[in-house]
Amino acid sequence: MTQYGELPTFSNAGRDDSSPPAEAEVESAVVPMWRQRLRIFLQNKLAIASVSYLAAIVLFCFLGPVLWHTNQTNQAAALFQPENAPPSLHHWLGTDGSGYDELGRIMFGGEYSMTLGMIAGFITIVVGTIYGMVSGFLGGVVDTVFMRLLDAFLSIPLLFLLLTLITIFPRTATNLILIIGVIGWFANARIIRGDALIIKELEYTQASRAMGAGGWHIIRRHVFPNSVSNIVTVATFAVADAILFLTTLGYLGLGIPAPATDWGTMLNNASQVQPFYWWQVYPLAVIFILVIVAITYIGEAMRDAFEVRLLER
Amino acid sequence: MFAYIVRRLLQSFVVFVIVMLITFALPYFEPGGILAPAYIALGNHATPQAVHQFGVANGYYHPFFVRFWDYFLQVVVHFNLGYSWKFTEPVWTLIGTFVPRTIWLATLALLLTVIVALPVGVFQASRRNTIFDYSMTNFLFVLYGVPAFLLSLFMINWFVFSTFHLQLPPTGGSSLQIFTDPGAFVVPVVTLAILNLAFFSRFMRSAVLDVLVQDYIRTAKAKGGSQRRILFRHAFRNALGPIIVILGLSIPGLFGGALIIEEVFNYEGVGYATVQSAQYKDIPTVLGITLLITTFTLLGNLLADIMLGVVNPRIRVEGR
Repeated sequence: MTQYGELPTFSNAGRDDSSPPAEAEVESAVVPMWRQRLRIFLQNKLAIASVSYLAAIVLFCFLGPVLWHTNQTNQAAALFQPENAPPSLHHWLGTDGSGYDELGRIMFGGEYSMTLGMIAGFITIVVGTIYGMVSGFLGGVVDTVFMRLLDAFLSIPLLFLLLTLITIFPRTATNLILIIGVIGWFANARIIRGDALIIKELEYTQASRAMGAGGWHIIRRHVFPNSVSNIVTVATFAVADAILFLTTLGYLGLGIPAPATDWGTMLNNASQVQPFYWWQVYPLAVIFILVIVAITYIGEAMRDAFEVRLLER
Repeated sequence: MFAYIVRRLLQSFVVFVIVMLITFALPYFEPGGILAPAYIALGNHATPQAVHQFGVANGYYHPFFVRFWDYFLQVVVHFNLGYSWKFTEPVWTLIGTFVPRTIWLATLALLLTVIVALPVGVFQASRRNTIFDYSMTNFLFVLYGVPAFLLSLFMINWFVFSTFHLQLPPTGGSSLQIFTDPGAFVVPVVTLAILNLAFFSRFMRSAVLDVLVQDYIRTAKAKGGSQRRILFRHAFRNALGPIIVILGLSIPGLFGGALIIEEVFNYEGVGYATVQSAQYKDIPTVLGITLLITTFTLLGNLLADIMLGVVNPRIRVEGR
């Protein structure tokens, strides 16, 4: 690896190197690579803003209910509250169509949307990574079969598949996670397979193979560590997609059943009256859109941070 | 070229059969098993005997692969997609009713998107790293983060119910309504177009940027070509190749986006039919529509590849 200098650059795998430099090289490398990457990430002001925003929203959703006491689970108690009341001192963001306090509802629904989205996104990335690694690394017949299968999955529009599955199974939180996890990994698998294909042809992998390393060893020590950067980036977008899918399902009336709720279901309930009451839509819509935009910005910033070309600035 | 097309067609057919296999297997996972549709078709209080008869009549007791083979022959040889028990019509008739509506919606929206997105992308690329470029990029970025259902919700609220009071397409009309009453389609078409706008213009921007660093652009500049001539005569034309591919690949996404629009605007297209039939476990309809859209998608990919081969002859030779 030394022939490439301190920061190895590969002709065709520009951003696939995230392995720490070998021990012998570290002495000459002034700054550890992860710190250089962190610096590039932190140089991006929008990324910092996005991270802070996400942290604030997570705090708002999970810590907020401690400070803002509202009834969010008792349907009978909600009956005594005014329905669709505009914002007041008592209800800062008004109430929804069933008399629940809107501000508390946003926190309560946010807990579901965020948690389910994160877990589902995580599943898509795990499945996608395994599928892509196996397919790309083994190559040959396995790769052909896996890729044709993937073509088949990808040629069914995801939403149609999602709707079919969701009407088949009962809508519990677990099922929602599993269904989104099951249909969300296709694109991830394709990206990660591309990585595996490139890395297994690189010199150090070839050298390792020539020294008698087995397939499992090569995947564990070379292919996986070197595609971690891409996997992390893909994972960011996967979480955004999962939250988006979940909210879309909720909006179509196929979200978490009452009295629990998620952001999509809340927007669906709000849109039952047209023209809708502004306090039931705009605050939540702004929070939600910014969450998606923030996650996407973080993903882009990470992609930049892992870009080897930017390291030497 | 001919051999290439034949090979791609064969590959597409294999993918088609896999999709059929997957969708055909889905009903087996339903709670209540493969006989669940009987209770939809016969009512909740159907007697076990009636359910049994329904199962026998529809061949539900045959092994999976026997049933699949029958269905395969029925679709591929006899070109028959079966009979919908929700809409009580042959599936082909349903498709004939619902699909043209979606195609009108999707095609018009795609056309509008391309008309707006391509110039935006080109201008952004030619004014790279200016305030115009930055603000446009950020604007499109946020737009990209707005989910389809939310944009539709806003559009329907602003343009139909509260501020402008435009018309919406009436439910259950003929698919040719777009000619007799074009005004009603403005809101859904524009909404769908806005949804695709960010993606296409961003893609066009990077495609043009890639072209602008090429040698022939420098040559054109050296020969004294005007900015506009270089941009549209050389850069734009050469950047169209990737756009053609993306157009082909965007077909499933377009149907997906149209699905949300149809739900929100109560527009009875394919998406509406799918949701309805999926809720009533109307399996022949769900299967038929899925297969049809898969076919569209595969043909779109194929067409994109062939177009690309026409534009760039080098690709044909090395085609997978």
